[in-house]
Amino acid sequence: MSRIGVFVCHCGENISRTVDVEQVARAAGEIPGVAYACDYKYMCSDPGQNLLKKAVAEHKLDGVVVAACSPRMHEKTFRKAASAAGLNPYLCDMANIREHCSWVHEDKKLATAKAADIVKLMVERVKKGKSLAPITVPVTKRALVIGGGIAGIQAALDIADAGHQVMLVEREPSIGGHMAQLSETFPTLDCSQCIMTPKMVDVANHPNITLHTFSEVEKVEGYIGNFQVTLKHKARSVDESKCTGCGICMTKCPKKKIPNEFDQGHGMRTAIYVPFPQAVPNTPVIDRENCTMFQSGKCGVCAKVCGPGAVDYQQEDRFSVESVGAVVVATGFKLYSIDRKPEGSPIQGYGEFGYGTIPDVIDGLTFERLASASGPTGGKILRPSDGKEPKQVVFIQCVGSRAREKGISYCSKVCCMYTAKHTMLYHHKVHDGQAYVFFMDARTPGKGYDEFWRRAVEEEEAVYIRGMVSRMYQKGEKIVVMGSDIQVGVQVEIEADLVVLATAVQAQDGADLLAQKLGISYDKYNFYSEAHAKLKPVECATAGIYLAGACQGPKDIPDTVSQASAAAAKVMTLFSKDQLERDPVVAKVNEKYCVGCLACKKVCPYGAVEEKEIRDRQGNLVKVVAYVNPGVCGGCGTCQATCPSKSVELDGYTDEQIMAMIESL
Amino acid sequence: MTPGKKRLNYSYYPGCSLHASGREYDISTRALFKALNVGLKEVPDWFCCGATPAHNVDELLSLSLCAKNLSLAEQVEGDLAVACAACFSRLKTTQHHLKEDEERRKQVETAIAGPAALDKPVKHILEILAREFGLSKLEESVKKPLLGLKVASYYGCLLTRPPEVPELDDCEDPSIMEDILRALGAEPVQWSHRMECCGANFTLSRPGVVLKLSNAILESARRAGADCIMVACPLCHGNLDIRQKEIKDAYGAPDSTLFGNIFGSELQQGASSDQRDLPVFYITQLAALAMGVPSGNLGFESVITDPKPLLREKQLL
Repeated sequence: MSRIGVFVCHCGENISRTVDVEQVARAAGEIPGVAYACDYKYMCSDPGQNLLKKAVAEHKLDGVVVAACSPRMHEKTFRKAASAAGLNPYLCDMANIREHCSWVHEDKKLATAKAADIVKLMVERVKKGKSLAPITVPVTKRALVIGGGIAGIQAALDIADAGHQVMLVEREPSIGGHMAQLSETFPTLDCSQCIMTPKMVDVANHPNITLHTFSEVEKVEGYIGNFQVTLKHKARSVDESKCTGCGICMTKCPKKKIPNEFDQGHGMRTAIYVPFPQAVPNTPVIDRENCTMFQSGKCGVCAKVCGPGAVDYQQEDRFSVESVGAVVVATGFKLYSIDRKPEGSPIQGYGEFGYGTIPDVIDGLTFERLASASGPTGGKILRPSDGKEPKQVVFIQCVGSRAREKGISYCSKVCCMYTAKHTMLYHHKVHDGQAYVFFMDARTPGKGYDEFWRRAVEEEEAVYIRGMVSRMYQKGEKIVVMGSDIQVGVQVEIEADLVVLATAVQAQDGADLLAQKLGISYDKYNFYSEAHAKLKPVECATAGIYLAGACQGPKDIPDTVSQASAAAAKVMTLFSKDQLERDPVVAKVNEKYCVGCLACKKVCPYGAVEEKEIRDRQGNLVKVVAYVNPGVCGGCGTCQATCPSKSVELDGYTDEQIMAMIESL
Repeated sequence: MTPGKKRLNYSYYPGCSLHASGREYDISTRALFKALNVGLKEVPDWFCCGATPAHNVDELLSLSLCAKNLSLAEQVEGDLAVACAACFSRLKTTQHHLKEDEERRKQVETAIAGPAALDKPVKHILEILAREFGLSKLEESVKKPLLGLKVASYYGCLLTRPPEVPELDDCEDPSIMEDILRALGAEPVQWSHRMECCGANFTLSRPGVVLKLSNAILESARRAGADCIMVACPLCHGNLDIRQKEIKDAYGAPDSTLFGNIFGSELQQGASSDQRDLPVFYITQLAALAMGVPSGNLGFESVITDPKPLLREKQLL
């Protein structure tokens, strides 16, 4: 016979306002097997917990039910108290009579009856419960950081500084990401390169960081503490160990007219190139699609001029398998393409803006390159079509962002600030120029942000027009921008020399594919989902994988850096122990009854089910059964619900326990 | 016609304009469909759809007028072909609106004493030509390609808007007219004002507004190097064709600005253009011409801006 204790919490008035807690406690006392029942104002408080501990000792309780709030809130608290009193913590459970009862009902009588039923269910479950011991898994103290932008760099440096090994993987030939493309950054207008490039060098020189540029994650297997990652090292056609970075190959390459991606297609580069002069590593890469040697087999100039003989046309993609304990995903963002509607996409384009057909309609990142000292114009604001200095520049905000009818409903967060910055940079460089901004509303939360925006409007003479633009067209050298000013209620037409569109921040190309490889979830816009929007903002639902930066949603640099450091701190916490303790609420397969249909493998959202061969003593295959890897299992119970032969059960939620709960009603 | 394939057949709602001021649209539509061997049978006893005035005065009336016409159209086999942009818009709007508003539908069905025929497919002739007949078949059927004819295709405001009602094309950047023009062998020009409003039926109450808006459209087409304009709406046709002389008189210096400008001085007057007359064609006139229909059967004599000199110049007559 069990001796269960029931503790009914008032939660101040949160529960007792709608549930007669005393009556619930009385009813609980009458359940067979309940040795003690009481109610208390705040069970989670110190005296409340002491009440529990004392009762366990005095009444020799072998199980405890706390009827209070959600287990998400205080299960750990009460399990710890039970454990301190000498009980196995998994024999302490919670009956949720707040979220599931008092908060959602009004009728006190009915709510009280329901609360009593919930308590009865949990008492039956605990009666059939078993002592469980936490599972331990070993931890490989080495982290993988995917993405070499500011988020990945910051996370890698933090983890490496804590003394752990880090692998930083970047698919482009150089690290630096979008931040390296920016001119000056808000709200302090310090030069982006000046704060970014030293960090890039730190990464390259750090003894604990292995840098893999021009590489991609091919496959991810394993679980928290024990991931096996297959990396694809794309053929650079240049041997990194031999190259000295002298750059003579680039000066001699006869193909010189390839649009430079780093300059948003506005500068030119050669076929063998580094993305930008401050690139890390400073090893060139051959763009095989544009290289004469690869296209026609006739050239080979770079190989001839290379002193150390680093150019290697025969190089092939290489694969390596690495063991890591944690993964930080920091793959960043791309900008919304504002052309016509892409085929098969739910997102509409802005064909009416003439982007792609009018050369002087550019996006924000292109303006950054025009304003950057290292950009194609050497920092002079010159328009792309004819290289003239634009005297009237129109900036348009919310292009694609917050536009439900165009398919994107979220706010891109950084555009209000960077457009304000653009108007300032423009005003500083073209004193007689005039900047106009079409905006819907200004969203500038952040330290020093609103002040910065006000400065653009009030001191730097940008004319802000509240309203949207309907259409733009080329008229001679000018671009006619047709819009409206909804505050004055008039239609506005401006003849601009240059138009800059603040286009929506979107998830990186292939973000969904990477998520599928990692087994993490993503939203309908392909941004990665955190485990909890408020309380677990850097963790993924998949244990051991953390998020940093704009791959999770639009973010500015300060937020990105904060989150990257937070992700690094989470990794360090994970690495602080040699063995990792995991919740023992995991599924177990009864190998005797399992018929090996592996329906559970198909439904498992965590990929925890594997095939296991059962062999006799002679080594002959008897049968194949399912095996649940306790390190990966998330304890959701989907396998248990699916199994046709009832041979898989979740510890703590066995069929016996569930049936006992149902029968108690 | 491909053997084994059923001949396309449509019921046809011309609308009042096509029997009056826009007769040449009706004539050329019938001629074109005949040339393409596509069946077109007029809905018996149809009446006005209410066009723009009705829904401004009495919503129930305007919905009922269209619903009654739709139920009349049910008597003729085939999807309902509509040429006039306003009729098309009203008929589609009625279906859309009544599908969403159960109560309104009941009121309308009481008013017209019968079901509202909400599922009768209503199709603009543009989508019939481009999608159902098909661009490639259209191109194959061309007997006299409109080579060298630079055409500004004018959509106006109703054909694609609001996007959920006509479902014709991209609502801000459509291409269906240009696609058809290319199939006909003509050269569509890139121009800016293809979706701007011409002033519509303010032509009666506030002609000044119409002159201003239509001038901007004509000017933009000239600037883009167009020889002519192509429309799919009798009201647009009226404003752009009939008013050209008045526009010339009112806007001696062409290229005036379309709207007031709160910043005053930025807008300079553009380079003065030659103020050429721009013939305004219906889509069906140009298409029928390309199909080899004799020009005498296309109503060219009843338009104001004479298209014949242009057509002769391009050796299309």
